[in-house]
Amino acid sequence: MHWLDGLIQGVLLGGLYAQYALGMALMFGVMRIVNLTHGDLMILLALTGISLAARFALGPWPVLVILVVLGAIIGLLLQRLVLDRVVGSDPLPSLIATFGLSMALQNAMLQFWSADTRSLGAGGIAQASFQIGSLFVGVLPLIVLLTATVLTGSLDATLRHTRFGRALRASSVDVEAAAMTGVNPKNVYAGATAIAVAILGFAAVFQSMRATVAPADGPFQLIYAFEAVIIGGMGSIWGAFLGAMVLGISQSIGFRIDPGFGILAGHLVFLLVLALRPQGLMGKV
Amino acid sequence: MTETVAINSDGPGIVRVQRQTTSGFVAMALGTSMIAAIGSMPWWASQGQIRDVVELCCYIAVAAMWNLLAGYAGLVSVGQQAFVGVAAYAMFVMAQLWGVNPFFAVILAVSAPALLAIPTYALLHRLDGPYFAIGTWVIAEVMRLATSIFAYVNAGAGMSLRVMTGYSADQRAMGVSFLCAFMLLVTVGGSYLLLRSRYGLALTAVRDNPVAAASQGVNVGRLRFLIWMAAAVGTGLAGAVYFLAQLRITPPSAYDPNWASIAIFVVMVGGLGSLEGVIIGALIYFFADRWFGEYGAIYLVVLGLLTLFMAIFARGGVWGVICKIVDAPWFPTRRTLLEDKP
Repeated sequence: MHWLDGLIQGVLLGGLYAQYALGMALMFGVMRIVNLTHGDLMILLALTGISLAARFALGPWPVLVILVVLGAIIGLLLQRLVLDRVVGSDPLPSLIATFGLSMALQNAMLQFWSADTRSLGAGGIAQASFQIGSLFVGVLPLIVLLTATVLTGSLDATLRHTRFGRALRASSVDVEAAAMTGVNPKNVYAGATAIAVAILGFAAVFQSMRATVAPADGPFQLIYAFEAVIIGGMGSIWGAFLGAMVLGISQSIGFRIDPGFGILAGHLVFLLVLALRPQGLMGKV
Repeated sequence: MTETVAINSDGPGIVRVQRQTTSGFVAMALGTSMIAAIGSMPWWASQGQIRDVVELCCYIAVAAMWNLLAGYAGLVSVGQQAFVGVAAYAMFVMAQLWGVNPFFAVILAVSAPALLAIPTYALLHRLDGPYFAIGTWVIAEVMRLATSIFAYVNAGAGMSLRVMTGYSADQRAMGVSFLCAFMLLVTVGGSYLLLRSRYGLALTAVRDNPVAAASQGVNVGRLRFLIWMAAAVGTGLAGAVYFLAQLRITPPSAYDPNWASIAIFVVMVGGLGSLEGVIIGALIYFFADRWFGEYGAIYLVVLGLLTLFMAIFARGGVWGVICKIVDAPWFPTRRTLLEDKP
């Protein structure tokens, strides 16, 4: 039961990680950019949400709507002002640019919000749970998992079946050829980044409802998102979801072995996948 | 320094390859005297000055190694603190737990990052560009977390280098200063020798276009591994020297991501792919830290934005700007053909 509980909690934790990972899978799939501010943007959205909720006495759901819209706007600006200038075959400029931006963002947040950890009041839902046999399952983590599943499904369907999705896949294979067929890669890139950061709006709300956020947390979320994408297999949206599950389960089981071993267990499983199946669980060879 | 090469006996006659320049001679003389000055610090500098110079030298060493990785081998790492920490811990274990002379332990300790470099490269070389970078970060996190639960090195509480109480302040200053001069010689001097050698030619080719370099017979994979290994050793040496001066180590300080930030800032602001840039960048960072460090978070925001600005608008950094104005390399690696007129 102890281990079954660990497994279930791991899957639920994986739901949160999937929300971090989706945006990263999308951006890398299209632009082959790793945006190192990924985690920091999530924290920025979360802290903004917490402050808005406190200032205007908003519940978590209005905050979610605001953050998703705000995320899309931030994504658009990020792409237009920074990423458009550094995207290219050489990964170094985009890495360094987002590295610098991440450092600036973290410290700006530290200055503005101080180093305190904060969280978003979720009302009764944070404590609510129901019982299956002898196991307790929290309502909020279940909502997080369901949201992650719906987001993954919608994103996957968008990529497969819409005009935007086709343009996006075309650009990811060959930007120049896509441009020749009438796709505007700059718009596609902007759209992809906007979606990626908008999804972080969901992650921001759920992270601050389930746990706490502090300005320096971003890099850890970035690493979890990255590990989920690699474990799942690059270029696969459902792969990122699966990778997030594997990471969540590894950490959850690890915590039950030894509290100091939880996060480390996640990293070790990641390295193990890298050693044994470098293309990822769902990646194409 | 010119080499005479007979390229074609019935062609334009004997052609000489010139590699040294006047600015290079001046810089070489200045550099040698700087290293001698650093080595002789106990005879002229105060304790505080020695501490500052050690810190500056560690920045230069770590940045010079990062420059080799990112500027030449195309390996962008944001996890160099893994090597800083593992070497520093190895030095503490050897000196404090095994009773090795601490100054000697600094040199022996670089075997730890060398050993760590092998499996990490084996795992990470499968990752593409940006993913390689975050992979190195995961390695550094693994090292930090594993050290935090490793009871042999006192886990999260860290260790103190109590054996240093057996040495007088003068002896300590002398040991640290010698090691510092040695570290500069190995990292900066070593980088320069490497870049001047035929490996340097191969590296420059790999930097410009790995595929084309491979087609010219350069074993790109092996070269990258060698650079990864060399950078691990150099970075580790800096870590061991730094923590020898600190006398105290904890997992968060040893595996501080700030090392990667410093290396990236120094190289990007100074000028990627040049040794001159490393030295200029390290000086800028060092003095900016001294003068503006008191502003805390705001100062780091500016540092971050400056890195962003450099990545977008001035990829060559400060040295790149200087090069456009005056052609006077301190570490000339270019080969100029001189033709003897009959």
